[in-house]
Amino acid sequence: MTDASLSPLALAPRAGGRPLAIAAAVVAVLALVPLVIADKFILSLGSTVFITAIAAASLHLIIRTGHISLGHAAFMGIGAYASVLTVMELGLPFAAGVLAAFVAPCLLALAIGPLVLRLTGKYFVLVTFLFGEIVRMVFVEWKSVTGGANGIFGIPAPAPVFNDPAAYYYLSLGAGVLLVGFIARLLASEVGRAIDAVRESERLAHCSGIPVLRLKVTIFALGCGIVGIAGALQGHFIRYVDPTSYSVVQSLNLVVVNVIGGMQTLVGPLVGTLFYLILPEMLRGYVELQRIIFGIILIIVMAFLPGGLVELGGRALQLVRRRAGS
Amino acid sequence: MTALLSVTSLHRQFGGLTAVRDLSFDVAEGEILGVIGPNGAGKTTAINLVSGVIPPTSGRVEFRGEDVTGLPPHRLVGRGIVRTFQSTTVYGDRTVRENGMRGAYLGLYPGFFATLFDTAHARRMRAEATAVVDELLDWLGLTEVAEDKAGSLPYGHQKTLGMIIALASRPRLIMLDEPVAGLGGGDADHVRDTIKRVRGRGITVIVIDHNMRFMSGLCDRVLVMHQGARLAVGTPQQVLADPAVIEAYLGKRHAALAGH
Amino acid sequence: MLSPILLGQAVVNGISLSAIYILVALGFTLLFGIMRVVNFAHGAFAMLGGYALYYVYGRWGVPYLIAAPLSALGVALAALVLERLVYRWFYQKMFQSMIGLLGLEMAIVFTAVIIWDPHERSVPAALAGIVEVGGIIVPTDKLVIVGVAAVALAAFYLFTKFSKYGLAMRAAAQDVEIAAAQGIDTTRIYQLAFVIAIFMAALAGGFYAQTYALSPLMGERPLMMAFIVVILGGMGSIPGVALGGIILGFAESFLGTFYGGSVAVFASFGAVILLLIFRPWGLLGTPET
Ligand SMILES: Nc1ncnc2c1ncn2[C@@H]1O[C@H](COP(=O)(O)OP(=O)(O)O)[C@@H](O)[C@H]1O
Ligand SMILES: [Mg+2]
Repeated sequence: MTDASLSPLALAPRAGGRPLAIAAAVVAVLALVPLVIADKFILSLGSTVFITAIAAASLHLIIRTGHISLGHAAFMGIGAYASVLTVMELGLPFAAGVLAAFVAPCLLALAIGPLVLRLTGKYFVLVTFLFGEIVRMVFVEWKSVTGGANGIFGIPAPAPVFNDPAAYYYLSLGAGVLLVGFIARLLASEVGRAIDAVRESERLAHCSGIPVLRLKVTIFALGCGIVGIAGALQGHFIRYVDPTSYSVVQSLNLVVVNVIGGMQTLVGPLVGTLFYLILPEMLRGYVELQRIIFGIILIIVMAFLPGGLVELGGRALQLVRRRAGS
Repeated sequence: MTALLSVTSLHRQFGGLTAVRDLSFDVAEGEILGVIGPNGAGKTTAINLVSGVIPPTSGRVEFRGEDVTGLPPHRLVGRGIVRTFQSTTVYGDRTVRENGMRGAYLGLYPGFFATLFDTAHARRMRAEATAVVDELLDWLGLTEVAEDKAGSLPYGHQKTLGMIIALASRPRLIMLDEPVAGLGGGDADHVRDTIKRVRGRGITVIVIDHNMRFMSGLCDRVLVMHQGARLAVGTPQQVLADPAVIEAYLGKRHAALAGH
Repeated sequence: MLSPILLGQAVVNGISLSAIYILVALGFTLLFGIMRVVNFAHGAFAMLGGYALYYVYGRWGVPYLIAAPLSALGVALAALVLERLVYRWFYQKMFQSMIGLLGLEMAIVFTAVIIWDPHERSVPAALAGIVEVGGIIVPTDKLVIVGVAAVALAAFYLFTKFSKYGLAMRAAAQDVEIAAAQGIDTTRIYQLAFVIAIFMAALAGGFYAQTYALSPLMGERPLMMAFIVVILGGMGSIPGVALGGIILGFAESFLGTFYGGSVAVFASFGAVILLLIFRPWGLLGTPET
């Protein structure tokens, strides 16, 4: 892959150490929030942040192989519908729903992956863009199952206790720690080494013994399965699913989160998620203005700051250090 | 003694163009085989076919007596065939050592769950691979720059690193595509030494170049390619004396020179 | 089911859809072929073309045959500001342009939402009434659209074939570096291609607004169609646009007439995805080396 924007500036930490300690501290602080702030709105925002972070991190995993999917929300939607149908139609428990939410998009990704992952960057973007649109149309047209354009309402909470926003906050925080932790661990393992090698030089990686296509398909399927779980968590949280929640616009939002935060390390999508969800709170009531600002940020980041906010932060930190040093 | 690599009637077409036609040759274990020929003769394509980068249109490749025709590159690396690229290919944004580690990938990867949980087995494999890479860096003199970014190395060092990446998989056969292209005379001599030392480790070598002088001092045998086909094969002396080679490749001027 | 009247209408529909698609896609492919820019904001300019026509023709009552090109030209010239502010940073940067221009699309569309609110409006037809040709009933409006589109496409063809700048533009589309080496001023050519591309998108947007409805979000579909047409024909290929536009216009018209709109969309998307997978350079494009 030759896209300069994806060429890494910094190496993801291969071993734990300091990043692990920072992550543990962040999680500890997040776990204390409901004990200090009982505000319903803040807790709901927290759940949204965690769910979006899972989705964005799962897209990051795929992006690290050098492929930007513009259809990621479609897989999130498939997960959401799969879970909701498993729980509401089959009467199975939420855990079975989550399993279905992982397996369904994962299988679909395994089926199309070997075909679409042969394509180079720009064609992959186009195919996933169209694929996402097709999936959305299936949600609209397959009325007997998906409820058509209206979607499905009255989705129950995973268990009665999760009607409490604080409980859902912990559920999504737990899922976030588990899934984002899994992705971090994966990227820091030998698999992550292979992923980076494939993105930086597919030809060289292949000739060093890395099974390129199998690796890409596996990672694509994992990323799609994980975003499916995020879809399930979202569906049972906002209590309805409908096609517009999983359209190309939503896929684009997940890309925006990654681009703004930075695509080179897993920290990028997490920072991007925060920025993406917190900024609108500051501009509440000015939905259009938010979108305009995001649009302009996207232009600026793509034109001048391919490493995103994380790179900007890194540069600022360097500058401060240099000042302090001299 | 049977051949380590045996290529039979290899053929590759690109649309209307036949890049490699009816190519057959053997390489014995421990040999250095040179492949020589003008630009566009099909040398790189031949290596691409043997290393699995592109599949042949027809023909057969045997390695250690087994049919490996059309296997993808990563499978061939597993069997002991590696290659380098004509244009220097390293991971420019990574350290020299990380480049080596990526080359050692097959010896490094303990399985999905083992690496995910960093089991004792995974750690042992990593320690072994690290030892292999460190030894190679030391052997070819890159230890000093092990933590530098590969992209910041001088051109000659990058070529060496390309070879280290290939050697890190502990191959039986290494194929080098124009390892001295773009290097000055002193560096070229150094690479020639290096290739001989690689063979000294029991690794069989196929090396491409179009400079006969460089090849004569290095190879046991030379395969001459012309317009995709094999023109001659033999010791450098035999090949240099072959009238077909003199006529087609070295040209009229050399033919006259060889005459006396 | 296959009555000659229905068939005839499907043909006429096919022609007018093809004309719109070719107009939108031509600009898209021009920007890609010359500047290597994937203009995800193309639909936004089509939308602006719709609003321009709404004012110039619908509100101020300028005669249609003047209003249509005039409003498109207005949009194209105004867009030159964005060329300087935004586009030039993305020239020859295919990947960055995709995401960056998605951002531009977002910014333009939501600015439009603030200015015009998201409700749909309609642009009056160019000529009310119908004509009957051999038992086929055709709205006069459609004929006017096809006529204007045909004139625009013919003008483009003649321009690239015979004018000095047009030839330079074609040379740049073939190979920018060689063109620059031959002394062609690429900045000028970029701006020219940009104005032409946006002009055609805006013109098509006007037609689109007339045929369907005008709203800030209306650009999504033309963008999608431009995309599909360009992929069908081959990214960057101008004859490919003509072929792709005709295939898509007729496929949509015929499948839509006989099987319903969603079948038409599913079929064309599915076909394009298959094409992308097995022949990503399209019907008339050339594979990258
Ligand atoms: N991927 C390819 N597609 C089309 N033609 C190719 C490809 N690779 C090589 N060729 C053609 O095959 C011929 C042999 O090329 P190559 O093997 O690179 O020669 P050499 O390495 O001896 O200079 C050339 O004419 C070249 O243009
Ligand atoms: Mg070559």
